[in-house]
Amino acid sequence: MKHFLRMFVQVCLYFYCKCLWRCLKFVVRKLTGQCELQRICYNTKPGAARTMKIEASLKGSKSKRLQTSVNVHPDAIEKTIDDIMELKRINPDRNPQLGVSLQACLLQIVGYRNLIAEVEKLRREPYDSENPQHEEMLLKLWKCLKPNSPLKARISKQWCEIGFQGDDPKTDFRGMGLLGLYNLVYFAEWDTEIAQQVLTDSLHPKYSYSFAIVGINITDLAYNLLVSGALKTHFYNVAPEAPTLTHFQQTFCYLMHEFHKFWIDEDPLDIMEFNRVREKFYKRILRQLQNPEMALCPHFAASESLINM
Amino acid sequence: GLLSILRKLKSTPDQEVRILLLGLDNAGKTTLLKQLASEDISHITPTQGFNIKSVQSQGFKLNVWDIGGQRKIRPYWRNYFENTDILIYVIDSADRKRFEETGQELAELLDEEKLSGVPVLIFANKQDLLTAAPASEIAEGLNLHTIRDRVWQIQSCSALSGEGVQDGMNWVCKNVTAKKK
Repeated sequence: MKHFLRMFVQVCLYFYCKCLWRCLKFVVRKLTGQCELQRICYNTKPGAARTMKIEASLKGSKSKRLQTSVNVHPDAIEKTIDDIMELKRINPDRNPQLGVSLQACLLQIVGYRNLIAEVEKLRREPYDSENPQHEEMLLKLWKCLKPNSPLKARISKQWCEIGFQGDDPKTDFRGMGLLGLYNLVYFAEWDTEIAQQVLTDSLHPKYSYSFAIVGINITDLAYNLLVSGALKTHFYNVAPEAPTLTHFQQTFCYLMHEFHKFWIDEDPLDIMEFNRVREKFYKRILRQLQNPEMALCPHFAASESLINM
Repeated sequence: GLLSILRKLKSTPDQEVRILLLGLDNAGKTTLLKQLASEDISHITPTQGFNIKSVQSQGFKLNVWDIGGQRKIRPYWRNYFENTDILIYVIDSADRKRFEETGQELAELLDEEKLSGVPVLIFANKQDLLTAAPASEIAEGLNLHTIRDRVWQIQSCSALSGEGVQDGMNWVCKNVTAKKK
């Protein structure tokens, strides 16, 4: 009974707050002559702070058209903006900048959703050693990491040198599927110097860990950050329009490099501490991403093109 | 009333059981662990180090330690032997090329002093695969019938579908009682 009453009060409170919020919005709208979307765009500078507020405002709107606008196809965005302007009775001639700002926000919001779908598709595709494209990528990974020491056979103990578990990497991708391989290859191909350095350091007896396996684990970490929405701050700050797979892979490179430094700073006793250190690292990144100004600022080659704001 | 029930619950805390989950890499240890804890098994990655989970089952609190199976990590297995109540050894039944290797690792474990007398459950995992060897064939290949110093059991299962896992865990709970009481 007590429990029921408490719940009842909570429900009432929820509706009361919601009602109060609506009234407040109505009053402010009448006073300023601007709707919430306008106020956000005029008062918040572009980037994650603005886009996240716009996203929340659209999702919380009582109009179905605004609620569903975050799910539209990228090609339909211009039309959607026109609809929103019309619905909110905003004169595009008197507010020329607003349409452009809203469009930029919506491109990012829709792009993030599509990026999740794209990444999920890659993750769900298992590594298949019968598929020549998959095999080619795997061999490319070797070539980029070990240009001076050719692989003697496809099934070889040499794979352990770059941190796979046994003589055939195909069973190591597991739940991360092709996504794990794509990320590792991107790191090795576009950030070759850093990747090779991290690999060499990972073989150091004191800080030893398995490079490729850790790469697959960091892929899981990046994937979780993406799916949970935590990476919105980063992507909305660095991607001027829709974030793409390349942005995701660059983020992976950054996380690999950062994790490596973090691991050494933590001074672990041995590899058995991996999951403890990984958890601590994950929490640190999450905390950083709570700051709306945050961009996981990569300080290396592949990512120089990434910073634009 | 309510208080006395609470008190009763408190007076019989679940008996804690330490379970060690070992086997070669890619045998399915982490999938099994997640299956036991009723967690999502579609995002598994190779284990660097170890995972641990506590599961309530039949009046026991099972503390399951899942240690990575990569060759590089196997030397660390011994750090986890102490106070083990049950050893669960997982085998990939479809990985025939490594039956010899997995047999050797198991034999070494059974020779360990710190594990002497500890009941061992062998999961013949991945029975969902067409190429999987049946449990009887694995038992024979590993000469399990020569184990005389402890109770043991081989159980075919699929950690992916969950089939056979509960049967194995029933055996575990039964043999914990036998050993501890």
